[in-house]
Amino acid sequence: MSEQEKLYRRITAHSFSIWELHLFLDSHPNNADAAKKLEQCRKKREELVAEYEAAYGPLNELGSQTSRWAWITGPWPWETGKEED
Amino acid sequence: MWVYEKKLQYPVKIKTPNPALAKLIIAQYGGPDGELGASLRYLSQRYTMPYPELKAILTDIGTEELAHLEMIGAIVYQLTRNLTPEEIRSGGFDAYFVDHTTGIYPSGANGGPFSAAALQVKGDPITDIHEDLAAEQKARTTYDNILRYADDPDVRDPIQFLRAREVVHYQRFGEGLRIITDNLDSRNFYAFNPSFDKSKKRS
Repeated sequence: MSEQEKLYRRITAHSFSIWELHLFLDSHPNNADAAKKLEQCRKKREELVAEYEAAYGPLNELGSQTSRWAWITGPWPWETGKEED
Repeated sequence: MWVYEKKLQYPVKIKTPNPALAKLIIAQYGGPDGELGASLRYLSQRYTMPYPELKAILTDIGTEELAHLEMIGAIVYQLTRNLTPEEIRSGGFDAYFVDHTTGIYPSGANGGPFSAAALQVKGDPITDIHEDLAAEQKARTTYDNILRYADDPDVRDPIQFLRAREVVHYQRFGEGLRIITDNLDSRNFYAFNPSFDKSKKRS
């Protein structure tokens, strides 16, 4: 796994933690520990994204944050990268 | 509204095609206990669901199920790349191939098309949450059954992730059921339907 892939994996792992804590807080809105952990995860993810984008360019996860060409360019999430188009 | 994120919730990178396995895994794309049905069930139930926590749980889990649908689509897509007609026949994928080539069609493992008949929106919070608890367990069993036939670690890894999510969702729905009953008459939870008999709702 390349350094770029490793960093990307760390970002997606933090995205998952953020989602999991968000879902937990749906049924535990008063849980201060979970709310604090969520804040820490969001901050850490922001740092990792800044590090990634400084080294490798935009993440291109959201169409509104990227150029029209980057958005339409593969591989799309389901693809293997070997598609001939 | 929804916004698309150009990534999977958990990575799917399958090196070896396997049409026989794709034929089983498509169960979770369009089958009776699949991700499409799960998403539609929760996103449809939420309109008449009372209580803020429950509306949030149904919206968020219904949204996550769409991300799972995309993962299953990616698994089936990657399992059916670059096949010869002979590989399609020997993998038992030929009947599907005649109807859909290698397109990703929402059907169950036995080829039946997706049907909303496998889900319910009853408009009663206790009833709907019990349906959701059962749905998570049915999906968990389906993933356990798929894992009995999947040897490839590239396939097992994302399937195990999805299986674990069913268990987490079951937990959240269980907490949701508790929140519903905490809002009802503890002597008779069924005295009225808080989605319909609004005037009798405890304030």
